[in-house]
Amino acid sequence: MKPPASASWKAPLKFRMPTAENLVPIRLDIEVDGQRYKDSFTWNPYDPDSEVVMFAKRTVKDLKLAPGFIPQIVQSIQSQLADFRSYEGQDMYAGDKIVPIKLDLRVNHTVIRDQFLWDLNNFESDPEEFSRTLCKDLGIEDPEVGPAIAFAIREQLYEIAIQNVTSARENRINKKGRRGAEHFPLSKAGGAALDLMKLFNFRSSVVRKRKEWDYYKPILDLLSNEDVDALEAKEERSGR
Amino acid sequence: MAGKSPVKAAASSDTTSTPIPNPNQFKPPQISTKLTTPAAVKSEIPSTPTRSSRPSSIDADVIHVPSYSRWFSWGKIDSCELRFLPEFFDGRYPSKSPILYMYYRNSIIKQFRENPSRKIFFTDARRTLLGDVGSVRRVFDFLELWGLINYSASSTHLKDAALTSKHSSTCGRFCGACRSLCTFACFVHDKGNFRVGLSNADFSRVEITNEAKADWLEKETSLLLEAIIHYGDDWKKVAQHVGGRTDKDCIPHFIKLPFGEEYLGHPCSDKAEPGFETNKRMRLTPLADASNPIMAQAAFLSALAGVKVAEAATLAALTTLSEVDDTRASKVGRGSLLRNTRQEADISSDGDTNLNALERAYADLDSLLEKEEQDIERAINGITEVQMKEIQDRILHFEELYLQMEKERQKFEGMKNLLFIYQLNLSFGKSYAMKTEERVMEKVKTDFIIIVCILFYLPLQAMANREFLEFKEIACQCF
Repeated sequence: MKPPASASWKAPLKFRMPTAENLVPIRLDIEVDGQRYKDSFTWNPYDPDSEVVMFAKRTVKDLKLAPGFIPQIVQSIQSQLADFRSYEGQDMYAGDKIVPIKLDLRVNHTVIRDQFLWDLNNFESDPEEFSRTLCKDLGIEDPEVGPAIAFAIREQLYEIAIQNVTSARENRINKKGRRGAEHFPLSKAGGAALDLMKLFNFRSSVVRKRKEWDYYKPILDLLSNEDVDALEAKEERSGR
Repeated sequence: MAGKSPVKAAASSDTTSTPIPNPNQFKPPQISTKLTTPAAVKSEIPSTPTRSSRPSSIDADVIHVPSYSRWFSWGKIDSCELRFLPEFFDGRYPSKSPILYMYYRNSIIKQFRENPSRKIFFTDARRTLLGDVGSVRRVFDFLELWGLINYSASSTHLKDAALTSKHSSTCGRFCGACRSLCTFACFVHDKGNFRVGLSNADFSRVEITNEAKADWLEKETSLLLEAIIHYGDDWKKVAQHVGGRTDKDCIPHFIKLPFGEEYLGHPCSDKAEPGFETNKRMRLTPLADASNPIMAQAAFLSALAGVKVAEAATLAALTTLSEVDDTRASKVGRGSLLRNTRQEADISSDGDTNLNALERAYADLDSLLEKEEQDIERAINGITEVQMKEIQDRILHFEELYLQMEKERQKFEGMKNLLFIYQLNLSFGKSYAMKTEERVMEKVKTDFIIIVCILFYLPLQAMANREFLEFKEIACQCF
């Protein structure tokens, strides 16, 4: 196989989420007057800004939170959206990237742990679709698990995309500095991907080795109420 | 997804929630403004094949759905859904498909119906749904508005939902703003219908009054005019004075008043002026309806410009036109006469009304011009006739020549034939008793004869050619 450098160098693309829909994962963790509100969801960045306010009001009304939450929520969402948009105009370096995505979530009574590979170049990929299928296959009954999984995938994809942007920026600067243009993909972001590239050379087969099977299997646990309470208490303590 | 809706069977038996089958599933949202009127109740059982209607062993009550949501069906998408939530159907976002919309809608409704006595909140719904919360919220709002969820949870909530959103369609009063059936209230916004970017606050409420359809009574009209005289510009006071009409009703009605009301108007009131002017304008442009667009334009422009300006313009136009005609007429050679007539026209035009004199002059000029044209035509006709005659004579001459040639050619043909016969005779006669030399001699003799004939033929040919060439030349000259 040719040195990964020349094989994987591609022209930089404009930044976007490497999924079919360019949605932003938003995470909220706000505390006002002793009330703690944690939430995570996906947002469509093309919605007008008035939507943010409406959403905040709606959420506060639905969850019967203190009205002081509204401006905080609005601000948090808007700042995350602004971050997303600030990356938007910039170049993203997308090589032949297949990245491992890890899931490790607890949603109500369900704990799920999983690991799988995701193709960053596939802009038609749909975390929602994946999550839906996963839940159906695993027979998860709790409807809240699906969105949580989709969100987790998106978040990780988002982070990787951001890293690609920064790496592209660095590489551009480096390019001016030295003539070694082949060193591009050796940034730290590409570390994990490179290992996988070695896997897929013509010497080894595409079928996964047996010892790795356990890593890539989804693990699903259903907790009882006591476990849930215990875990929640632990999380709160660690959070403080 | 979590369990099936236990009240499915009950819902289907509920008369108010029977759906109307609608084949609009994937049509683009070009819907007329007619809202869904309650059609005949169809007793269709809405179900998708995967659903099993469990007998309602639970004490779930019948799900109440308002009559204006009768169109709802699990497996289908109605036209009002296309209209209210176009984002799923116009294909702009590849993943926002009708299937996704149905997934959202059906899961929200199912979730609600699991516990119909409890109001379902948006946050609960969106937590369980995959996708971006904006779209989920819009679907949720839509369903809440149409009473498909949270309808029986609390009646106050329903009123809020209905009043703070767009109008719903039942047999109600006729709303002047949206020109259709409205129930509770109608909200207007100058940018059009409810969309993603607008919120409730952007809409202003329009009162639906029963008088929206009623005509203005005489009393009201006289009150209106009185009020205008007194208050002039202040339409609010005018509306108050009239009573029962908003200022927005008064203004268009006043403008539409017939022209005869002018005498009531105050010349110094600002609002009266444009009203009157429009009245006059409408009166003075009778040609505005003419099918001829140019006439309509001219009428409109002249009305705009005013009477004096129009007169001056027509005068100027006519004088220039007469000058143009004058130059044209002089080319034909009757300039003096025309100039006289023009001077006459000028003189007479200086006297009384200019238009009439010019018209007379115009008539004279026209007749003279016509005569000229006729003369010219006659002359041209004569010339062409003479030419034609010439050509005819020539053709006759050539025909004669041709005949001559034909005769001579035939003579020559006869000679050729004779020669051939002689040849045959000679060859047959000599064939038995001839020796080679004699045969050759005979051949030479016959050849000699042939050559002589050819030589004789050639000049004939040449003569014929010459004649033919001449004929061709002359023919070319003619044409």
